[in-house]
Amino acid sequence: MRLPCLLAAMFALAACHDQANGGGAGVREQITAVGSSTVYPFTTIIAERFVAADPDAKAPVIESTGTGAGMKLFCAGIGAAHPDLEDASRRMKASEYRDCAAHGAGAVLEIQIGIDGIAFAESKRGPHMALTTVDIYRALAAHPGGKPNTARTWADVNPSLPAVPIQVYGPPATSGTRDALAELILMKGCDAVEPEAAALAARDVDAHRLFCTRVREDGAYIDAGENDNLIVQKLQANPDALGVFGYSYLEENRQTVDGVTINGVQPTYDAIAADRYPGSRPLYVYVKKSHLDAIPGLRAFLRLYANNWGKDGPLVRRGLIASPVSVQARSRAIIAREIPLDPASLPS
Amino acid sequence: MARRLRRRYAAERRFRRLGASAVALSAAFLAFLLITMLAQGLRGFTETRVTMPVNLAAADLPVETARLKGRGADLALAGAGLENAVDTAATSAFGPMGSDLLSPGAWMVVRDAIKADPSLLHRTIRFELPLASRYDVAAKGIGTPEAERVVARLERRGLLSTGWDLGFLRDADATDPTRVGIWGAAKGSLLTMLVTLALAFPVGVLAALYLEEIAPKNRWTDMIEVSINNLAAVPSIIFGLLGLAVFLGTFGLPRSAPLVGGLTLALMTMPVIVIAGRNAIKAVPPSIRDAALAVGASRVQVIFHHVLPLALPGIMTGTIIGMARALGETAPLLMIGMRAFIAAPPRGLTDPATVLPVQIFLWSDQVDRGFIEKTSAAIIVLLVFLLAMNGLAIYLRNRFETRW
Repeated sequence: MRLPCLLAAMFALAACHDQANGGGAGVREQITAVGSSTVYPFTTIIAERFVAADPDAKAPVIESTGTGAGMKLFCAGIGAAHPDLEDASRRMKASEYRDCAAHGAGAVLEIQIGIDGIAFAESKRGPHMALTTVDIYRALAAHPGGKPNTARTWADVNPSLPAVPIQVYGPPATSGTRDALAELILMKGCDAVEPEAAALAARDVDAHRLFCTRVREDGAYIDAGENDNLIVQKLQANPDALGVFGYSYLEENRQTVDGVTINGVQPTYDAIAADRYPGSRPLYVYVKKSHLDAIPGLRAFLRLYANNWGKDGPLVRRGLIASPVSVQARSRAIIAREIPLDPASLPS
Repeated sequence: MARRLRRRYAAERRFRRLGASAVALSAAFLAFLLITMLAQGLRGFTETRVTMPVNLAAADLPVETARLKGRGADLALAGAGLENAVDTAATSAFGPMGSDLLSPGAWMVVRDAIKADPSLLHRTIRFELPLASRYDVAAKGIGTPEAERVVARLERRGLLSTGWDLGFLRDADATDPTRVGIWGAAKGSLLTMLVTLALAFPVGVLAALYLEEIAPKNRWTDMIEVSINNLAAVPSIIFGLLGLAVFLGTFGLPRSAPLVGGLTLALMTMPVIVIAGRNAIKAVPPSIRDAALAVGASRVQVIFHHVLPLALPGIMTGTIIGMARALGETAPLLMIGMRAFIAAPPRGLTDPATVLPVQIFLWSDQVDRGFIEKTSAAIIVLLVFLLAMNGLAIYLRNRFETRW
């Protein structure tokens, strides 16, 4: 007789869960964020500080989905079932904004939290070349000018450069740094020299990306894994080689490696912060305006972000590059006065 | 004749040796896994501490003793700048590098001590504070050369000690390896498994009983049987997509919640329970049913008084196998958002949570070296969890086992 009772109890329990669901979707007390894996570590630090500052607050939920997938979740609607925050390693696209607006989430705040940079570096004993994005594109792309890449030395790429063999140690294709290399350096070089690039970009964005950012696979670009420390060691052993990594590694290893000048600009903190260096991109957080009143602590969370993104703050210690003071002030004003994003300014 | 006999003996010896070496190979794999995990993981349960004086009297924190009682204490001490005071103390003890030496969570140790005894605010006390991750791994012998030099210097001054990292068993995820904890993920796993069991076990057992004892044998039941067998073999990611579409999309349940994770995993576990349950019910001798029916028991009485108790040990073995698979599952949970950073353990079924295998996956992705040992430590916790579950299953089975 004991057994049916047990089963009945389990059913009752199951029914109980079903009842709990009813209220689950209506209200939410914690902040939820989705989006870029590049911004993820910074948002987690803020989340941690948010909880540390107020032990009664519910811990925010930060998911790393990638910027594009995050935008889809973010723009799917307003209300408790949809995230409040979107971490983005690029600006929102106009198409994404239309998606947001169509689902009632048109009023969003766009807050730039800082800058991310990728740096080319070489050994202190290296040839100290000054490159341009075009040189790098011609040296590393799989098919510059539609033909397989045959350049062996930097002189093959640009006669004014020394005849040093092309050897670039960089991150694997799965890395975000590699995406930045593709978008910020190769794409710019490609658009500058390939006559058909612009037409292709207008017709088919994916084909354009593939055309411009395929990296050659004959050994000139050496996949060094996700280990940036290893690249630094390789550069010390081989003074002719170049390395590609996040700016923070260059900063940490200034005693052994130097940054490579690109388009006449050295990768320094100030140059990246002022957006003069080609390998820099701004990082954003998008927030739904209508959620500011609905989700407790969301305003405090944004203020906490603003208090920590400064030059001596914990986010910079973790590898972020602080925005210029004027951008910081603008972002602060957006938070304080809750100024929504103007869709006319968005890229297509 | 004699030659044939010799050949047969030789074949037997060969077979025996083959079998023994197969067992030895799997034992060696298991031993390798356990030894590497334990060698790396046990370090993850300890932390290195440095002894240093903290002069709270000199820091003169603007905080009233009255506020140190009750809920506002954390806020009051944080607001009064305790973190800076501890950093200052480290700088005066170890020079300009001092504040880098300490874990970002070090000041919380001081905070908790002050909450326990507010009179500390007016004294200088020697605290044992956790080292920052760089130096912690250096003290464990796998750090960078310069960090190891710093650690060796502290070691010579006799300031280092090693202790259990209790926070690891008490806290949830964090951004710094010295502050992470596994409890958030373990509790998430526990809640998820609870939902899975509460749903999959009764439904699975009743389905098995009905199909085996009551349903007529015709084309429809054959089709159901084939579908259930198919369902048991479907890759788990498909269930994740199903959960995403149905539970999150149609029903609007909260993302990242153990409730949704449990429901999704229940879908995955149910077919396993049905198949194991049907086999166990089939193994009950028909004579027992006939005898019960002969003395006038009804169909339901036969099932619940005789068949089910006899089949239960087998059903439970099947259930535990299904649950163990569900416990180690990551793919479907990624789809429903259970791979998030959450700095606090879940408080209920609808609170956001992660589970143990997802936490292991998240930590293994981190760049910080301190996370390597924490990942291994989390794997040990997962193995202990599994061991406890299997142990419970064996205990229950032996208790209810009946022989006939």
